[in-house]
Amino acid sequence: MKIIAVGGGKGGTGKTVFAANLSLSFAEKGYKVLLVDLDVDNPCTYTLFKRDLKRVKTISFFKPKLLEDKCTLCGECIKYCPVHALVLIPGKKLLFIKTLCEGCGNCTIVCPEKAIVEDNMVIGYILENRDSNPSIIVGELIPGERKTDEVMRDTLKYGINIGLKDKYDLIILDIPPGTGEGIYNAFKEADMIISITEPTKLGLNDFKKLCKLIGKMSNKKHITIINKYGLKGGIYRELIQFIKKLKIDFYTIPYDEKMMEAYILGQPVIKIYPNTPSSQAIKKITKKIEFILK
Amino acid sequence: MIQEIVIASGKGGTGKTFISSNLSYFLLKNGFNILSVDADVEAPDLLLALGGVKKKIFHEDFYGNIVDIDYSKCIGCGLCEDVCRFNAISIKNGLPRIDYNSCEGFGACMLVCPVKAMSMKKIRRGNIFIAISNENIPIVTGDLDVGERNSGLLVYRLRNIARKYALEKGLNIVVIDAAPGIGCPVVSSIVGANLLIIVIEPTSQSLKGAKRLLNLSKKLGLNIVSIINKYDLNQTFSKKIEKNDELNVIGKIGYDENVVKAYSLMIPFLKLYPEDSVSKNLIKIFYKILSEVKS
Repeated sequence: MKIIAVGGGKGGTGKTVFAANLSLSFAEKGYKVLLVDLDVDNPCTYTLFKRDLKRVKTISFFKPKLLEDKCTLCGECIKYCPVHALVLIPGKKLLFIKTLCEGCGNCTIVCPEKAIVEDNMVIGYILENRDSNPSIIVGELIPGERKTDEVMRDTLKYGINIGLKDKYDLIILDIPPGTGEGIYNAFKEADMIISITEPTKLGLNDFKKLCKLIGKMSNKKHITIINKYGLKGGIYRELIQFIKKLKIDFYTIPYDEKMMEAYILGQPVIKIYPNTPSSQAIKKITKKIEFILK
Repeated sequence: MIQEIVIASGKGGTGKTFISSNLSYFLLKNGFNILSVDADVEAPDLLLALGGVKKKIFHEDFYGNIVDIDYSKCIGCGLCEDVCRFNAISIKNGLPRIDYNSCEGFGACMLVCPVKAMSMKKIRRGNIFIAISNENIPIVTGDLDVGERNSGLLVYRLRNIARKYALEKGLNIVVIDAAPGIGCPVVSSIVGANLLIIVIEPTSQSLKGAKRLLNLSKKLGLNIVSIINKYDLNQTFSKKIEKNDELNVIGKIGYDENVVKAYSLMIPFLKLYPEDSVSKNLIKIFYKILSEVKS
């Protein structure tokens, strides 16, 4: 089983569209493919397959629970809460502000009366649809919760376990925009990283930062795809010079209105417009990736 | 009083930086004393969109805490591994090892270590700087080092620095360009703002993101307006978005190829193409925004 991570520092470069099309393209070649959506803040891959998902797992995280009858209002917990989620109204009440709590558990350790005990809060869900190829697994953060990295981590772990257990040939990870820790951890699991960039000033700026992140992992296979190639007013020379300087293999997907149309219709472009230039490019890239992975 | 306007979207690439940069330029040209803030600390671009750096005026490194182990004291009991809720400690060859990519630096391990072998140390996780852009707009930018955590905390610090700077200089409007998503850095970006502007594209993916953001901002009790960007890519879908009362759509902007060109030249669209219909729509929308923050 091989794992491919599809990332790109900037939002809207086409990560999800590419990941979905690549999954379908490999599935059409006979591979058993598992597409894992790690953009848990706003998971969208499944909208491109028009398939219903069922909830298979609840992700929860520690939260403290106050036992008021045991609490002596000594204030010890407050001293050790690093994010000030516990507030003491002297002589009256201990307040817990859930939205600030990071779940470190220091309060349960230091409370001399054992008045703060273990409880859980639900921070997200894992959903799936494995009825057809590609199978889809999606992580979803509950709005208002802030543990994006934890939901990503659990979804990734779940996806890899399913991949191994049910003998998938390929896992394709759809990575959210950004360059932080959660993204780094997902990249680390991959045999190959495909970064999606676009020929715009902001695209290049974010791509540079992403390359720095990928550079932290030695010997990672990394190819890049310039999406929307041909977009008017773009910065082609600067972008390609940068890619060549880093000696990264790159491929292009032409700017193609059919691709945008397919996106708006919520369909993979290679399915509804198999002969359009962007579909042809995606199929060609699939072959290259197949070759690289062998 | 300082008014904070924050621009966000559940999905990436909908045009947050486009709105933020042009709104900043518009406000400046209309005589407001403004400060722009780039809170997309994992991919900061606002400075580029406003002409690039003319002069840096402030710089501060951002530190996070991590735990350090004194192995001459450690007895390998493993209590630290048990209490760490971030899976940052694992026992290898009988001794605890810290995974610095997962350590939040809250120190539960320090509290339970019977031989006091753990201590806290600071490591750099990013930086914050203030620069005057070539469009003469002061911009506070946060930049998280690659692969690092605590982006929410960095944004929190960033907003405090921005507020302090705005107070000192007597500025009246702060424009904040948020990160995509709805996670911790976005919560830190939007909480307490006077107005949240949600930027939506006419696609179901973007609308879904906008609704998730709306859900979050309701919990935070924010005043919300929405802008549909590139509305003409799917007019039917745009109408559907406009009918959503909660999103409170105050205007829409068409797709324009010159947006990419304006970015390439690092000149705000409003300045480069003042007669374009996109510019005219932007100005109409920005006047509505002004009335929202004044009321």
